[in-house]
Amino acid sequence: MSDFESFVGVNPWTALFTFCNMMITFLVLKHFLFGPVKKMIDDRQKEIDTMYADADAAKQQALALEQQYQARLSEVRQESDAMLRDATARAQKREQEIVDAARASARAMRDAAEADIEQEKKKAVNELKDEIGGIAMDIASRVVEREISEKDHRELIDEFIRNVGDAS
Amino acid sequence: MTGPKIYFTIPLFGGIPITQTTVSSFVVMVLLCIAGICLGRNLQKRPGRRQVLVEKGVTVLYDMVADTMGPHNLYWTPYVGALFLSSLFGTLIGMTGILRSATADLSTTLTWALMTSVLCWACGIRANGFFGWLKGFSEPIAVMLPMNIVSEIAQPISMAFRHFGNIAGGGVLTSLLYTALATLSAAVLGLVAQSVVAAVIVLVIGIALFAWGFKARKLMRKIFGVVFAVTGLLALAGLSGVPYLEVGIPGILSLYFDVFSGGVQALVFSLLTMVYIGNACLPPEPAGQ
Repeated sequence: MSDFESFVGVNPWTALFTFCNMMITFLVLKHFLFGPVKKMIDDRQKEIDTMYADADAAKQQALALEQQYQARLSEVRQESDAMLRDATARAQKREQEIVDAARASARAMRDAAEADIEQEKKKAVNELKDEIGGIAMDIASRVVEREISEKDHRELIDEFIRNVGDAS
Repeated sequence: MTGPKIYFTIPLFGGIPITQTTVSSFVVMVLLCIAGICLGRNLQKRPGRRQVLVEKGVTVLYDMVADTMGPHNLYWTPYVGALFLSSLFGTLIGMTGILRSATADLSTTLTWALMTSVLCWACGIRANGFFGWLKGFSEPIAVMLPMNIVSEIAQPISMAFRHFGNIAGGGVLTSLLYTALATLSAAVLGLVAQSVVAAVIVLVIGIALFAWGFKARKLMRKIFGVVFAVTGLLALAGLSGVPYLEVGIPGILSLYFDVFSGGVQALVFSLLTMVYIGNACLPPEPAGQ
């Protein structure tokens, strides 16, 4: 038998079958195609996002570390500079001290020597004075052959020595 | 013009007719299920060529749904995809020549359209409650109530008839063309076959035209040459009943009515479904309002 449906008509059984087929198609496609594929795409997207986030975090960390090291480096440099400056200053101070001490001791030695010389000089002058006074008295007594009073004597000698001292 | 042929009737419940549409829609379902299972299998993080294509298609669908219905309605994508594919292949299956397009039957398109409407109503009821949904018909003013109801009823009918009409109309035009071409072939052959001389002349003209077209690389001359030559040959052989003009031209028409129109109608139908359901399933209102 080969009957035909009417051209424009709705057969409830066909409609029911269509509905069932549609639902089966929908469920199968959802379960086997759209679901897994969408999940795969989302998973991949998530993974990519994670990877990018990780990379960003690593980059940030590297930057932070770099900055930290830079700071540390400059700190160390400053420290070494300070130490160097300190050492130089200390050395200069020490040098100054040594030089000062040397100068002071030299001056002390010179002063002592000058004082010695002065004393020796005075001593020598006095000895000479005494000696010359004796000699002079000796000579004078010989020349004059008379006793001169001690007072005149001393005056004469002093005058003489003053003259000698001025001349010398 | 008739509707789908009834192959046989299952004598149950007063007779369940198994029509061409039933078979087509079943075949389409089976094909889509097999294709879906095959394409959705063995998914890898690093996709092969097949998976890239599948993912591209799925992504396009999801993007389309997101654009049309909003990101909160993304879970409708499998339904829209199944509808689109069923519609497209339900039309294309008519090109096999054995089966009739499932979409050229009002039963099919009306079922789908009603499914869309029911889904819309379900969405509306879920969003506003049953009475809230009923109340929505009297908005913005109570006078609109009949018009709203009419538009609600007209919506699935218009969807169903649009799809059905385009595909079935294509079928009608194609069959009209076949009939016309058969009549034309019979007329031309009958004219030419009246005398052997005319047949030979036509054959010679055909061969000459074909040779000319071959030399000048002109497709139309070649085609006309072949047509003339075949006419002459058939007339000489006395085969006046051969509808030879049916070769070729209906193919071009079928390219438009089945491939192009089928694709467009599938797209339109799923787009309308998306729009209607998207309108019914409005985005969740932000908290605090």
